[in-house]
Amino acid sequence: MNVTGDTHGFVSEADLHAYVDGHLDEDGRARVEAWLNHHPDRAEEIRGWQRDAQRLRAALGTLPDSTSRSNLDPALIRALHRQRVRSQFALAAMLVLTFAVGGIGGWQVRRWAASTEPAPMADALQAYRMFAMERRAQLDVTQHQAGDVQTWLDENFQNAARLPDLDNAGFHPVGGRLLATDNGPAAMVMYEDRQGSAITFYIRPPSPHAGTLPRGQRLEGQLAATYWSADGYNYALVSRANAREVRAIRDASRPSAT
Amino acid sequence: MFEHEIDDQLRELLPRLRRFALWLTHDTSSADDLVQSTLERSLLHWHRRRDDTALRPWMFAIAYRQYLDGKRRSRRYTRMLELFRGSAESEQPSAEREVVAQSVVQAINLLPEEQRHLLLWVSVEGLSYREVAELLNVPIGTVMSRLSRARSALRRLGDGEVSKTPTLRVLK
Repeated sequence: MNVTGDTHGFVSEADLHAYVDGHLDEDGRARVEAWLNHHPDRAEEIRGWQRDAQRLRAALGTLPDSTSRSNLDPALIRALHRQRVRSQFALAAMLVLTFAVGGIGGWQVRRWAASTEPAPMADALQAYRMFAMERRAQLDVTQHQAGDVQTWLDENFQNAARLPDLDNAGFHPVGGRLLATDNGPAAMVMYEDRQGSAITFYIRPPSPHAGTLPRGQRLEGQLAATYWSADGYNYALVSRANAREVRAIRDASRPSAT
Repeated sequence: MFEHEIDDQLRELLPRLRRFALWLTHDTSSADDLVQSTLERSLLHWHRRRDDTALRPWMFAIAYRQYLDGKRRSRRYTRMLELFRGSAESEQPSAEREVVAQSVVQAINLLPEEQRHLLLWVSVEGLSYREVAELLNVPIGTVMSRLSRARSALRRLGDGEVSKTPTLRVLK
């Protein structure tokens, strides 16, 4: 790609670009200009390159306004990252602790990654994502006074369990919604605390092949679930996987509590 | 370096990073997703940065690699969809390439992606040839010859606005 210039020294393709882009010093510029004077064809082309570059800068050189994008602030991203790491630590510490105490309330960590079975109560976690995280759908019933949601649940399910009591953790029932599964109707009851964090209680008929569930719990992504079976139904409590909420659903799903 | 100093540096770079991402994705919300993941990665890998590395090309390189990864993933996905559909209509370089662009913005959008990026990075963002070479992971000589091709291609497409259709130009 090199072009040699007669009496005006050596001008390379790179020099021509550097000339267009203003990367040359005084001497370099003079040298290229002298060369271009003797190469009118290239000079014409290079002037075109310069014009294009100027037009591009004029048309596309404005910078987008970033002040309104607070979610892109480095300090915020740093803080969120730290929070995530901290809550993972707290969760890990808590799991270790409950292990050490020795399976109180049947709390054991299972390795679902290694299992080929569908994870238990996957639909309960899916319902949480849909209703509690994305808030995409309306609730069928909302709690205006204590007992509303329980009454609604009893109307739809025979011998359904009493709603788990999450008062101590600051979560109260706000409403519920009926859902469909392959094996019959299911329902989700949503609890919220003052900050608007959500925990969901899920009830469904057992599937024929999986049957009833041993009491257990699992983590999936950012969510945690505890589950158990009683009186012909499978139940789950789902929360986000942070220490406070996991403790809440663990305590509320102990055999003595259910 | 203190964290707030790092944050200030990143904040200052943010408009350029957003523009860089917009050039890649052509869409504000995907661009912002790209910027966000770029910021996350840069904070995570900040300690790996050599102090003499300029921040701008380093951040651009993170963004560009993530963009390429995403593109690879979506290409794989498209290939799978094509298997289902049974049609593999590949993108033909069409006669459209030959149309005369009415503005330099139109012209640059008719160029292949690689040439478009190169021109934007060099002419608008003002990256050095070495920085572009590192971004693309090619020798600097390759950058120079690609730049010649890109500039000539843009010239051919953009010629219309000055010489070929002077009587048809809309005056603003």
